[in-house]
Parts: sequence; structure tokens; C-alpha cells
Amino acid sequence: MKEIIKITIGLTLTCMIAAFIMGGVFAITAKAKKHNAYLNFQETMFSMLGYEKDQTPTDLELLSVYRYIITTDQGQSIGYVVPLKQGYAFIMIDLQGRFIAQHQLDLDQVRVREEQDRAAVIDKALNHPLKIIYADRFIVARQNGQRSAYLLPGKTPGFKTFIHFMVSMSPDYKIAALEIIEHQEDPGLGAEITEKYFKHQFIGKQIEQIRSLKVIKEPLPDEYRVYLNNLTPENQTAKYVGEDIYAISGATISSVAVANGVQNAMKKFAYRLKVLNAVIATQKIVVGF
Amino acid sequence: MPLEPKTNKEILLNGLLNENPIFRLALSMCPAVGISTNVMNGILMGIAVLFVQIASSLTITLLKNYIHPRIRIPTYTLTIATWVTVTDLVLAAYFPVAYKSLGIFVRLIVVFCFITCRLDVFARKNAVFPTFVDALGMGLGFMVGMMAIGGVRELLGMGTLLGYDLLGFRPMLFFVLPASGFFVVGFMMVIFNYTETVYNRRRRRRKSS
Repeated sequence: MKEIIKITIGLTLTCMIAAFIMGGVFAITAKAKKHNAYLNFQETMFSMLGYEKDQTPTDLELLSVYRYIITTDQGQSIGYVVPLKQGYAFIMIDLQGRFIAQHQLDLDQVRVREEQDRAAVIDKALNHPLKIIYADRFIVARQNGQRSAYLLPGKTPGFKTFIHFMVSMSPDYKIAALEIIEHQEDPGLGAEITEKYFKHQFIGKQIEQIRSLKVIKEPLPDEYRVYLNNLTPENQTAKYVGEDIYAISGATISSVAVANGVQNAMKKFAYRLKVLNAVIATQKIVVGF
Repeated sequence: MPLEPKTNKEILLNGLLNENPIFRLALSMCPAVGISTNVMNGILMGIAVLFVQIASSLTITLLKNYIHPRIRIPTYTLTIATWVTVTDLVLAAYFPVAYKSLGIFVRLIVVFCFITCRLDVFARKNAVFPTFVDALGMGLGFMVGMMAIGGVRELLGMGTLLGYDLLGFRPMLFFVLPASGFFVVGFMMVIFNYTETVYNRRRRRRKSS
């Protein structure tokens, strides 16, 4: 009996010490870690817009719009946290695309990044209990006072886990770049989705083409492969724009996953932005993006 | 049976050859089969394992008098988990560049049985310095093993080594698939065992003559 008490106390103590060490380290590093993740994301976005690190033009602005799903007794509606010329607003739209309400949000540039801060401020602004769930976001790049590109992060179920990607497109929904942010596909097979010869196949495709995008199981022609591997914004030609997506040999599932993910994300985004733009125009909301 | 190693040099070589974690102890086979698709993965995984092995071994050897023998295995697991978590967090916060390439490997280490094995077999019973040497040898042995498997698989599967295109074509894509890991590990064990048999036979002959 004495023995078992000794063991229990010993194990409890060990666990507590371990927990304290881990918790302490987490508390110390959490801020720096978050900041690094933010910088990393920022860098990815700039590189997708074609800018090197430290060479971003000063008039380039990246503005995030966050989408929320609101559930009430009457049904669902959609909410957007949008940056205004000054401050932020929460715009509520019903599923038919009709405007419901607009609330001023007490947020600033730093606090808007934090999911918890946003949720708390929205809750306060709405002032009555609604169930809101954060869904996703898109980023509008502005240069010279007008929209220069959209950045759309998304995820899609791959071969093993989710593949996280980001698409950048021009204001008329033409893909300018595709980046795979995080994935756990098999090296040498599914992991080839990060290679230029796969990613670059999406570049230059219009939204109409994306809607009917097909993945074909044929070997990539050598000439096309060379073109894809050396593709830069300067030497793009229209010659290959009509091509389907060639699946990676041995990794059809991953290839289809990325193609479907991009297709889905862009289709939905184009529709949602159309609705949001219409609401903003009819309600005469002065947005900052 | 080989004699119990005595000098530090013997302890170091023990981890690399006699008790190589992959080829002789056959422990931690999941990473050996799953991740060793190229040499770079082997090196990165090796670095991560080497660090965690040394840190955990030293922790256990310093605390060995306070650990109740009945709960030693949970204590080892906790030690490794703590070190892995701490390493992961510190890398993510202060070394973002290293974290980008090492991050996914560090998190895998919690489940490595050969680290637990070394803590129980060696660190628990020995002084600080031999424990350090043993951890170093084991970590290096693991790294070399992973690099060897990775080299074979990368060369035969992708036709490259360390990302440099050597062959210009892919001889057998099969070697990149997870299943081929078993074959490569198996054949490497054959080579290891055969070399040892030959070596022992020659030594016996030399002794008798």
C-alpha cells in the first residue's frame, strides 16, 4: 500500500514538472512563434505577387476580408469583416445575397489578425446572442489606389491529410500564381505538387476555364515541361493556356485534389465577391479595399 | 556474444555498428521506412534525433537516483516528450529557417522506441560522460543508417542524390514508395550481417593460426 502511494506521488510530480517546463517554454515562445508565422505568411503573399523580400513597393497594401457563418433561429446568414477607409465593419448578408445589417467594429490593424479578438469584438458589436463561426478569408492587394490582385488561401483533402494552398489572381480572376503552403503527401510522388512543372500548369487560366477544369492521366509533353520549369511572369505565352492539367505520374489523387481545391475555392470566391461587391455598391459602404 | 563495451571509443562504435538502431536493434522502423526516401530527409531526421537523444539521455542519467524503478518507462516518455516539445517551440520561435526544414521531423520523435531503449539500457546505469558518448553514437548510427537507406532509395527511385540529378532518368519509381523501404532495410541488414560473419570468421582463423 505504501509502495503504491509512493509511485502515484512520483508519477504525479514527474508529470507536473514536465507540464510546467512545457507550459513555461510555450508562454515564452508563443509570441515570437506567432509573429514568425505571420511574417512567413506575409512573405509568401509578397512572393506570389512577384515581389522579392525587402523589395515590396510602399504603396502596396494587403487587406484581409474575413468571412463568418452566422446561425440564428431563422436560419443561416453570412458575415464579412471588411476594412473601411477608417476602421472595420461587419457586414451581414443573407443567403440570397440581400443586405441585412452593418455594424461598426472596434478593431485595429494588429487586433484584426487575432481570431479571438475579432470574435470578441463582433460579439460585442452585435449585442445579442448569435452563433458566429469563422469560415475563411481572402486578401485583396491594392496598389495605386485600385485592386491589383486577390489572394485566396484554401485547403483540400489530399492523399493523407489536408493540402493547404494559396491562389493569387488578377482582378478579372485569371490565376497569376499557385503556391502549396503545407502538405504531407508522399515524397517523390504526391509531394511533386510543389514542383514547378505541376504548379505552373495553373498559371494564366481564366475562371471560365477553371470551372470546367479537367485532370488528364497522360505524360506531360517534354516541350511543355521545359516551358513550365522556366516560366516567369515575362515569358508567358498563350500557347498552352488551353491545356488541361496533366496529373503527376503515380500521384493522380494528389493532382486531382489540388485541381479540385483550386476549382472549388475560385468558383465560390468569384460568387461571394460578386455578392459582396453588389451589397457594398447598393449600400454605399466606403470600403478600404 | 560481443563483450560489454568498455572504452568511450568502443561505446561510440557500438552505436554505429554493433548495435546500430536500424540495422541491428531493428528499432524505430516506422521512420526508417516512411521518411527515408532521400538523403536530405535522413540528415535532417538524424540531426533532430541526435539532439533529442543526447538531451534525454543526459536528463535521465542526472536524475537516475530519483526515478522510482516501477515508473521509469512513463518517466522516459515524459522526458522525451518534454524535450521534443521544447525543441519544437524554440525552433519555431527563434530559428524559423531551421524550423521550416526540421519542424516536421522533430514532432515525429516522440514515438521513437530506440531513444527509450537507450535510456533504459544505458543512461539508467551509467555515469554522465559514457552516457553522452552512447547517445552520440546511437544518434550518429541512426543518422548514418537513414542516410544509407535514403541514398539507395533516392538514387534508384528518383535518379538523384541530395537533389542533384545524377542519372537523368528514374530507374525504378517503386523505390520511392513506402513498401520499398522494407526491401531496402532488409537488404541492408543482410549486408550488415554478412559483413559481420565474414569478419568474425577471419578473426577466428587469425587466432587459430
